[in-house]
Amino acid sequence: MKREIRLEARPESLKVIRDFIEDSCRGAGVARSDTHDLKVAVDEACSNVVEHGYKGRREPFPLGVLFEADEKKISVAVTDRGTPFDPARAPEPDLEAHWRDRRIGGLGWHLIRRLVDEALYESTEEAGNRLTLIKRRSSPEGKN
Amino acid sequence: MEITTVRRGSITVIAIAGSIDGMTAGSLVSSFREQVSGGNIRIVSDFAAVDYTSSAGLRALLETVKETRQQGGDLRLAAVQPEVLRVLELSGFTHILKLFPDVEAAVASFPA
Repeated sequence: MKREIRLEARPESLKVIRDFIEDSCRGAGVARSDTHDLKVAVDEACSNVVEHGYKGRREPFPLGVLFEADEKKISVAVTDRGTPFDPARAPEPDLEAHWRDRRIGGLGWHLIRRLVDEALYESTEEAGNRLTLIKRRSSPEGKN
Repeated sequence: MEITTVRRGSITVIAIAGSIDGMTAGSLVSSFREQVSGGNIRIVSDFAAVDYTSSAGLRALLETVKETRQQGGDLRLAAVQPEVLRVLELSGFTHILKLFPDVEAAVASFPA
């Protein structure tokens, strides 16, 4: 199963993208818990593009989400044409820190790393940026 | 997302309904800031009807818990649903925030 949506990198697109992931997962028989985890991971990836990707750029702000599922895994690719940002450069938050010392922000990439099994990033001049999030299916619907 | 604020004695109860994300978190931040700047630093946020949060919601919660505690108050959460709880747990927020099964218990947890 393969589905794609193309929209603009704006805050109001985030809900549309979550609904797209939800519908696609339902169509592909993805377990509830995997659906939730993918929704958050994709939302975080897209929120980063919305918030930072096109800062100082002129419209349009293309944002694409490509959903693919087979019997073993789900793969969601987020594509954009904004400023490249390799998630490997995002610092890990200190989860054990005292509340006084916890930094506000910086949790988006942490959640992506925890919620999917792989996050592959590519950026080229011609094709733009592509972050592919891969999640192995935990169990058939209703059995997790 | 809808936000409803009511006073329960010295406690402010902020009930949120819907999804908290990069689009909606701004109004949640504004509601929290409005209370804190008005001196209402004992806050319970009712999460019974919050079906989703991204890290945008976590930012709003962390900012508010810091602000209230620095002034001797607190932000406490009530009735957090399982999927939202998973995001809080993965982010280490269940060590920071005090969580209660319902609004009554969260309100009662503040000293009189």
